[in-house]
Amino acid sequence: MENPVNALVEGLSRRYFLRQSAAAAMAALAAGNARQLRAGGEKITPTADTLILLWMAGGMAQTETFDPKRYTPFEPGLPSSAVLSTFPSIDTVVDDIKISQGLDRIAKIMDRGTLIRTHRVGDLGHILHTRHQYHWHTGYPPPQSVAAPHMGAVLSRTLGPNHPDMPAFVDIGQNLEIGGESDGVKAFHTAGFLGTEYGPFLIADPADAAASVRPPAHMTDGRFRARYERYRKLVESSPIAKYGSDYQQESLERSLEKAHRLVTSGVAKAFDLSLEPKAIYDTYNTGRFGLGCLLARRLTEAGARFIEVTTEYVPFRYWDTHENGHQRAIGMKQSVDAPVSRLILDLEERGLLNRTVVVIASEFGRDMMVEGKPDKRVKEQISIKQPDIMTEPKHYGMHRHFTESGCVLIFGGGFKKGLLYGKTAEERPCRILEKPVTIDDLHATLYRAMGIPPDLAYQVEQRPFHVTKDGKGKPVMELFA
Amino acid sequence: MVHRSLYPAIVLPLLLSSGFCAAATDRSNPIDEALENYWTSRGIAIPAPVSDAAFARRVFLDLWGLLPTPEQFQDFERDNHPDKRERLIQELLANRRNYSEHWISFWNDLLRNDEGVFYDGARESITTWLLHALESNLPYDQFAAKLLNPEQRGDPKGFLIGVNWRGDVSASQIPPMQAAQNSAQVFLGVNLKCNSCHDSFISKWKLKDAYGLAGFFSESPLDIYRCDMKTDEKSETRFLYPEIGSVDSDASLAERRAAAARLFTCKQDTRFARTFVNRIWDRLLGRGLVASVDDMDRAPWDAEILDMLAEDFVEHNYDIQFLVNRIMTSRAYQAPSVPVQAEEKQFVFRGPLLRRLTAEQYVDAISSITGEWRVLSLEESGQGVYSREWRLKSSPLTRSLGRPIRDQVYTRRNPEATTLQALEVVNGETLDNLLARGAKRMLGVLPDAPPNLFDSGVVRGDPVAVDIDVTGVKKLWLVTKDTDSYDPARTVAGWANPNFTSPAGSISLQVRKAVLQFKGQQPANALVTPVPSEMSFDIGGKGYTRFRAIVGVDQKCLINEIGPRIRFFVFAEKPDYEQLVRVKPERPVALHHERYTPNSLITRLYLYAFSRDPEPAERRVALEFLNATGDDKRISSESLEDLLWAVFQAPEFEFIH
Repeated sequence: MENPVNALVEGLSRRYFLRQSAAAAMAALAAGNARQLRAGGEKITPTADTLILLWMAGGMAQTETFDPKRYTPFEPGLPSSAVLSTFPSIDTVVDDIKISQGLDRIAKIMDRGTLIRTHRVGDLGHILHTRHQYHWHTGYPPPQSVAAPHMGAVLSRTLGPNHPDMPAFVDIGQNLEIGGESDGVKAFHTAGFLGTEYGPFLIADPADAAASVRPPAHMTDGRFRARYERYRKLVESSPIAKYGSDYQQESLERSLEKAHRLVTSGVAKAFDLSLEPKAIYDTYNTGRFGLGCLLARRLTEAGARFIEVTTEYVPFRYWDTHENGHQRAIGMKQSVDAPVSRLILDLEERGLLNRTVVVIASEFGRDMMVEGKPDKRVKEQISIKQPDIMTEPKHYGMHRHFTESGCVLIFGGGFKKGLLYGKTAEERPCRILEKPVTIDDLHATLYRAMGIPPDLAYQVEQRPFHVTKDGKGKPVMELFA
Repeated sequence: MVHRSLYPAIVLPLLLSSGFCAAATDRSNPIDEALENYWTSRGIAIPAPVSDAAFARRVFLDLWGLLPTPEQFQDFERDNHPDKRERLIQELLANRRNYSEHWISFWNDLLRNDEGVFYDGARESITTWLLHALESNLPYDQFAAKLLNPEQRGDPKGFLIGVNWRGDVSASQIPPMQAAQNSAQVFLGVNLKCNSCHDSFISKWKLKDAYGLAGFFSESPLDIYRCDMKTDEKSETRFLYPEIGSVDSDASLAERRAAAARLFTCKQDTRFARTFVNRIWDRLLGRGLVASVDDMDRAPWDAEILDMLAEDFVEHNYDIQFLVNRIMTSRAYQAPSVPVQAEEKQFVFRGPLLRRLTAEQYVDAISSITGEWRVLSLEESGQGVYSREWRLKSSPLTRSLGRPIRDQVYTRRNPEATTLQALEVVNGETLDNLLARGAKRMLGVLPDAPPNLFDSGVVRGDPVAVDIDVTGVKKLWLVTKDTDSYDPARTVAGWANPNFTSPAGSISLQVRKAVLQFKGQQPANALVTPVPSEMSFDIGGKGYTRFRAIVGVDQKCLINEIGPRIRFFVFAEKPDYEQLVRVKPERPVALHHERYTPNSLITRLYLYAFSRDPEPAERRVALEFLNATGDDKRISSESLEDLLWAVFQAPEFEFIH
């Protein structure tokens, strides 16, 4: 299969690659670098080169998006228990798939996707968003006795970037200082024990992405280049020609060189959304998430390996609808519908969709009545109570956290097209009726698409740490074309 | 693979009568004798000690975490006394504040201590205790005993509480199991993580051993889970080395914790001392006597030195500063540094490994040289302090430089140079800002931040009254600042009933008609402002004497999804946004005032950053940076900023050599 990224890669000098591999060999010897352990089983041929995760942060209500149930319009006096969906459902281009109103553009591209309606996340007890997010992003619920790496870091460590000048793992849209749960968010936005080399390149605001690969705001390009050239001269004129081994000194200098190359090379252009034609920019521009999708497309073309775009987790905001859920779901759907569908179509037009997996997922679903799972309810969140009888529009919405089932939508990268997978009951508590997909199995599936077996492990403290929990994830083979 | 335990605690007693301690009374360092044997038996020439310059830089960084100032450095160089190295170490150890502010990062990593981490509201900072313990040089046995058995108010409870996230956790991660894992790892160099779930695949430790130790820290006997499946068995409280002692499983929690403190720290438990001296050796020389500092069952490269050092430490009442001093005065520490080698089959000690500055050392070094320190400000209004890096929240810069998220025990920092780190120093905001201000600060062209006339502290729900003297003020600035509201764009905040007092009476300040309603109060006319915002008013010559208002957020934004946290300030001069709070003038390192020529600046910079004078070739490049001849009167802050950047990226700066 043709991969346009290769064309970019060919331009690089042989010397560069030699130095890279020598550096990699040395790096493997250095302290703190986790050794890869041989995985069992067959060799997997990847069906994709790039993974884009579109993260619906805060808990996307499945009944208001991709698993709509019976619609009941709001009226004062309506019992909460009577409401399953607050939107009517709409047809998609696939006969047996209906989704929620407000996702009209995604409905038109459903024939490119695989829809899982039975994503069942962990039983972690009393809900804490960042804890479920940590579980989803690393495959391991915290606390853990070793720092678990983010999925993007695993891909970065295992596969590297598609283009050597690109950061392999780019994370778009999440501020790490978000008040009370900042530490929870920081805890999984890391490469953990794999080491910071594989950690996320964080871009909080995609509109400003160019700034993260540009000289500092107040510095001209000329000054920036001169600074680096003089720096080289200064180091070379030092009487102590070499401090440390070639390895220590070189790795410092090399990392600086690599950073400068990223800033001054063509790859930096990929981060600059102002280079995009206005019409296209406008289609994506529903806000930060929409522009994040545009950036993800550009970074895919430029050779990143794993890109996450999040609607952003901030407690009680975005998909974390504790109140006024219906109105807020309208807004959230508006912010994702156009950019997601445009992203898929753009990748398709560029011939990249076949080798790019795009996944839409969330830490759990939502419901109006059930907190946790039907058979394993957990403590109510204290902040806002859902009344039994709704009197005001603000009561109308999916205000509780539902961990029984959620939706995952996958496009491209070797997955089936127009597939509906899994079934949940039409009546509350809307249990999973068939084919549950756990985080372990979903991860095994995504890793498989990238050519990585579920029991691939890295050694930490002399024991294996597997890319899916204890190496036991099972890919859902039915999802592959 | 199961490996043999080299130190099953009691079997190999310390050589308490070896004469090692007697040797310590004369001036020779007992480490040196052992090391001499070690080297000569391998045919290795005994390395000459490093230069005074390298030595001074090393000990300052290792004891204070700070570079020696040029003055301190020159004083040391000029000192001709033969015992000047010993005296310098003593002097630095005696400054307990600087010593503690460096070593606390080592302990924070080890004990998983951090500020403001609220996964479940249960994590508890032990910073105050830790600082005090370091400042008072609390003997290590008592230090550990307090962590294992915090009985009194002010004791470090946080260590046993551990890191908890709301909800249910895996059986291997409940607080008593975390306490077992961490205390075994930190104090005994035993890894119980594997066997907290099942019998270990890699060591002799069994599931029951982990539960046995957890029993010391649990209210009641624990159900034993194997791989998160409940078994019929209950835990029995049992120490890892039962030959040392035991406690009745039915004893009260207080008694069991007290027993843990006793058993871990008793003199027969020689592993306790060995584990610790090995950590300090590792910290000061870049590689432990046992290379894997958390697995003390591995072989040391020299058992004699390890045992002697442990014995010496116990004999000297677990005096941590004594131990540090012992190592630093040895030939081992003072040998020239050795680059990291590709893995050797058989490690041979030739000298300390070249070490990289930690994130905290790196930023503190930059602040020392430039005089530009970041400000730690409290949530409440009041004075902030110029702070060393360890006290502040981690930043993208320090995280990229290896400051860990302390959810796990970290016993070593990863010294790797990474691309993300390089990007952070190449164009990251934190360093860029530090250098831009730092260059101005050095040149004396950064005006002092004006002191505020009013600081509300963080305002959430309850409004705060402003009532300040504005006599003689020409222009008044009103500033609102967001401090991590969930949705700052939707906050409605402002200044209610703003008014001035003048001899003619009260005059209200009304720019735009708006209304604010504070919680539980009547609506009031107000100056409603976006967040963040700055407004200024010319009030010169009007004879105003007081400014009054009530600041706060409107009650309609007191909802979860907005979560307002706003801070209000008043200034009589243009505010400096890096420093809105009032700051105590003292800095961790005193400000140096000098009117520089390019030449004098370069000389001082080299002396400070590298502990040496610049070579002519280096001076030429540095002058090129400054775009100046040596005696020019003017140095532009931009050009200095770039020179500073280059110096701080130089490998010579980043390594302790």
